[in-house]
Amino acid sequence: MDWDKLVQLLVNGVTLGSVYALVALGFSMVYGILKLLNLAHGDVLMVGAFIGWGALGWLGGAQDPRVAVWLLILLMVLAAMAGCGLLGVAIERFAYRPLRRAPRIAPLISALGVSFFLQNSVLLLFGSEFRSYETFDLVDVEIGIHWGPLNVWVIRIVVVAAALAMMVALWLLVTRTKLGKAMRATAFDREAAAMMGIDVDRVIVTTFFIGSALAGAAGVLVGLIFGQINHFMGFGYGLKGFIAAVVGGIGSMPGAMLGGLFIGVVEALSIGYIEDVTFGRLGSAFSDLVVFSILVLFMLLRPQGFLGRPEVKKV
Amino acid sequence: MTKGLIATAAAGLAAAAVVATAVAKTSAPAGASQVAQCTNVSLGMLAPLTGPAAFLGQEQLSWVRFAVSKFNRQYGTRFKVVLADTQLSASLARTAGRRLNANPNVMAVIGGSTSQSVISTAGLFKRTGLVSISGSATRVDLTNGQFPTFFRVVPHDGIQAPNIVAFLTKRLRVDNVVVIDSQDDYSVPLAQAIARGLRRAGVEVSRESVAADETDFSSIVANVSGAADIVVFATQTASAAQTLSQQLREQGKRAVVFGTDGAYSPTQFKPRLGYVSSFANDLRFLPSARPLVREYNRFSRNKPFGTFGPPSYMAAWVAMTAIRAACADGRATRPEVTEQVRRTNVPSILGGRIQFTRNGDVRGAKFYIFRVTDGQYRLVG
Repeated sequence: MDWDKLVQLLVNGVTLGSVYALVALGFSMVYGILKLLNLAHGDVLMVGAFIGWGALGWLGGAQDPRVAVWLLILLMVLAAMAGCGLLGVAIERFAYRPLRRAPRIAPLISALGVSFFLQNSVLLLFGSEFRSYETFDLVDVEIGIHWGPLNVWVIRIVVVAAALAMMVALWLLVTRTKLGKAMRATAFDREAAAMMGIDVDRVIVTTFFIGSALAGAAGVLVGLIFGQINHFMGFGYGLKGFIAAVVGGIGSMPGAMLGGLFIGVVEALSIGYIEDVTFGRLGSAFSDLVVFSILVLFMLLRPQGFLGRPEVKKV
Repeated sequence: MTKGLIATAAAGLAAAAVVATAVAKTSAPAGASQVAQCTNVSLGMLAPLTGPAAFLGQEQLSWVRFAVSKFNRQYGTRFKVVLADTQLSASLARTAGRRLNANPNVMAVIGGSTSQSVISTAGLFKRTGLVSISGSATRVDLTNGQFPTFFRVVPHDGIQAPNIVAFLTKRLRVDNVVVIDSQDDYSVPLAQAIARGLRRAGVEVSRESVAADETDFSSIVANVSGAADIVVFATQTASAAQTLSQQLREQGKRAVVFGTDGAYSPTQFKPRLGYVSSFANDLRFLPSARPLVREYNRFSRNKPFGTFGPPSYMAAWVAMTAIRAACADGRATRPEVTEQVRRTNVPSILGGRIQFTRNGDVRGAKFYIFRVTDGQYRLVG
């Protein structure tokens, strides 16, 4: 067993998984409240990545930042969260709210439309070139933990810590606050919640704001770790985030976190070991096969995911 | 509930695909015998204008528009450009190709930009005699005679792979190389040819593969042995090569990235140390091309460019020259234009002249290899 490789793969998997978990949280929150698959969620992440890139440029760029690096990253994340939160509210208001009583397929098609709209708007505004955060100029890749087999760039630590902090904050918000209680009540039974005096529209709007803000933060984190962003990047992260949400148990917040980390680690390990496990028959190209096979297995054997509850139909 | 929604989404997408196919099939293609009036002639532009490789298609489109504008000014013609977006998808390329085939004003197609899109469309164009000239599709078997109306102004990978192998074994004297492809029709055969050539030369080779739109290579990098000297990355995305290069450093690997022609981009691939090959010399390094570069910068309002645009400029120039010749009597057919393209003999902005072999390859073309040090490109092979 090559322990160096295993350790490195786990580090990579946890980093990637943290991003997937943030995306999965957004999917899960919206699904929990509206039973809607927000297929545009990945593209909100992409918009967040571009807002972060804009903030980086506005603050002097990676090579000559006008503020301390930690403050720069914080401002980029906050700008993306605010921008994407508002974008989420706008999407809910104009693309989903008018269809709340329409058949299920209508908001799904509307979500696809929003996805294409966002992609092409960014293409129009920023062009087709890949944009670079140049994080490698901002923080040299050699800064971080280099201890035996362990090579962890400081930005990876920042990304994992930021993702964990946001997940914990969200958990506290949902379980310990009045707003969280209203969100849980709305998710449980929207009509009953309204009869109890909860402003359901406000809860839905807040849910979209928070879910989209998390996607925006995830976009900046992706830009920080991988350096490059483009108008098309949302699709891949949206898809993996969706799988993470389903595997974790769509509608369940701890499930989304667990699902994200699980999918990230499985993806990293499958890239690293698929060739050994299949005696050279399959290469790293087939790592997605493993991830999607897991999705299919979950759909067949445990459709409610790790922590979701089986749906009970009342008659 | 989730399964129901997913099934509904899949059904919706399938229905959309069926409708799109039906609509495409109802458009009758312009026949080979159809005669076009030369007063309203267009060039089709078959490229990924949106989607993950839009950077490539947009650069090519900008240079094609520049060529059309310059040609129209120089010869008093009125060529137009008809866009056909492939979004880097084989099925969309086919639909776009059908649309161009059905448009009687389109007398030549610039593209497809990628080998995959050529495979999807060149058979359609063959049926109506519509000529297509690519400025970037380099897969070897595109010019093995199966597509008689396909031409390209850049060399094929049968030249690129041996060039890279020779450079790695003779100039860099490598012992251990990792070769990565990006799972598409361009990169897989190229990576295979490079790996085969290196093994034949006694070099230890490991093969890896990543999705074309992948942005995280950290797990692939974990597979790269500490003994590896070079990671050859056959990719169509320069920024991916840049990220790979940085992640190799992040994990303390000594190997450096050697990008194939798709990775050529002084603005996006700028590692501390690396190599990149290119199917064309960079116009910015050619003193004779300076006036043209200035003119292009004015035309495009300083749009950045690499090596993808100028060959497409040449492809458009060749096509317009051929159409103009075919239109000498005021009318032309597509096969006449194809015949004129076959006889092409025009000076190239990239140096030398453009002439084609019987199978549609450009004569005397070669690949260029650049060494990149702290983002600075220097021609070394």
